[in-house]
Amino acid sequence: MTNGVRHQVRIVQTGETYACAESETLLQGMARIGRKGIPVGCLNGGCGVCRISVPVGQVRCIGPMSRTHVSEDDEAEGICLACRVTPVASVEIDVVGKLRKALTFNWGAPGAARGPDASRIHATKET
Amino acid sequence: MGVMRIGHLSLKVMDMAAAVKHYENVLGMKKTMEDKAGNVYLKCWDEWDKYSVQLKKADAAGMDHVAYKVEHDADLDALQKRIEAAGVKTTMLPEGTLPSTGRMLQFKMPSGHEMRLYAMKECVGTAVGSDNPDPWPDDLKGAGSKWLDHVALVCELNPEAGVNKVAENCKFFKECLDFYLSEQIVVGPGGAVQAAAFMFRATKPHDIAFLPGPSAGIHHASFFLDSWEEVLKAADVMAKNKVKIDVTPTRHGITRGQTIYFFDPSGNRNETFAGLGYLAQPDRPVNTWTEENLWRGIFFHSGEATPSFTEAYT
Repeated sequence: MTNGVRHQVRIVQTGETYACAESETLLQGMARIGRKGIPVGCLNGGCGVCRISVPVGQVRCIGPMSRTHVSEDDEAEGICLACRVTPVASVEIDVVGKLRKALTFNWGAPGAARGPDASRIHATKET
Repeated sequence: MGVMRIGHLSLKVMDMAAAVKHYENVLGMKKTMEDKAGNVYLKCWDEWDKYSVQLKKADAAGMDHVAYKVEHDADLDALQKRIEAAGVKTTMLPEGTLPSTGRMLQFKMPSGHEMRLYAMKECVGTAVGSDNPDPWPDDLKGAGSKWLDHVALVCELNPEAGVNKVAENCKFFKECLDFYLSEQIVVGPGGAVQAAAFMFRATKPHDIAFLPGPSAGIHHASFFLDSWEEVLKAADVMAKNKVKIDVTPTRHGITRGQTIYFFDPSGNRNETFAGLGYLAQPDRPVNTWTEENLWRGIFFHSGEATPSFTEAYT
């Protein structure tokens, strides 16, 4: 169980609010009670899907965040990963992650979706 | 002759102490050495070479390189000629570039991932030795993984721009490194786009996998367990250690593997994988999964996509 002081978290995009303890990250606090709004990825600062900015309130960083997803400039502007910050006051957060999806396909016009080696698939099947 | 198996994975981690604790206490590997730069080397109990994972301190997560072991030193020269003939630049790194490791042929896959081939690595033996060995050692920790089984790499696929690094890697591995295709996912009109490829050199369903995505990265590093019972126990170990599990125990349609996906403390995805699936052979017909069945191929029980599985990679 989480103990200690709780703060209100408001997700600007969805209007969702939840109480998050100072002892848990914004993402843990949301996921543990089954709320949605911030994308949940690795929970460990590596994948970057929970990238947020914090226009109102204050958070504390509790672990390393991948520089692939939060540059030094980003950090100076208050960009962080929700899985690596805990609230120290009530906060409003903006989800700013650019979702890059693997294994997901959005096809354009028929015939447009052809890779350079499409023809060799059939050859491979015959081996 | 040629490539035998995956040799090691060099993985970038942001917190070395947390990473070593995870790979030892959760995966069940053992630290075998540390170099002057502070990189840590580990092996699984049933592996005989000195290390299969190099943890490298970095300010981002992800893969530094993946290395495969070839049978003979001369294979490196022969493969270098074939790789260069395919228009790929190579560098022969001298012995000692990595500790306890012979010369390494370094190059980039068409997808941009760094790959190395080597023939020599110090043999230290398995944890049970080779003389009248016990079936398993007494001091196993965590999941007690037997070996680093494979890596799955995210390769750029953007058919509208004519980019398919999955298919390019598949062609390169087949033509230059003599890998065989065991299974594939085909999508798009008429299934014309090869969207994922599972390839082998040994007799397991895969030694490497290529998955599609918007940019290059590593999707997961997989560690072998013997049985479904061990997969369940591995999930218990993860819960006890408060490891973030991405996908709880289930079965893959592709490769028939029994699996758990979870994350290391830097967010790199790991897998514990059980079951040898089937005998992979060069003349075995290739299994093909179509777009409408691709999630059945990936998670056989649910047949559905899970968001974090597609969104998170390093």
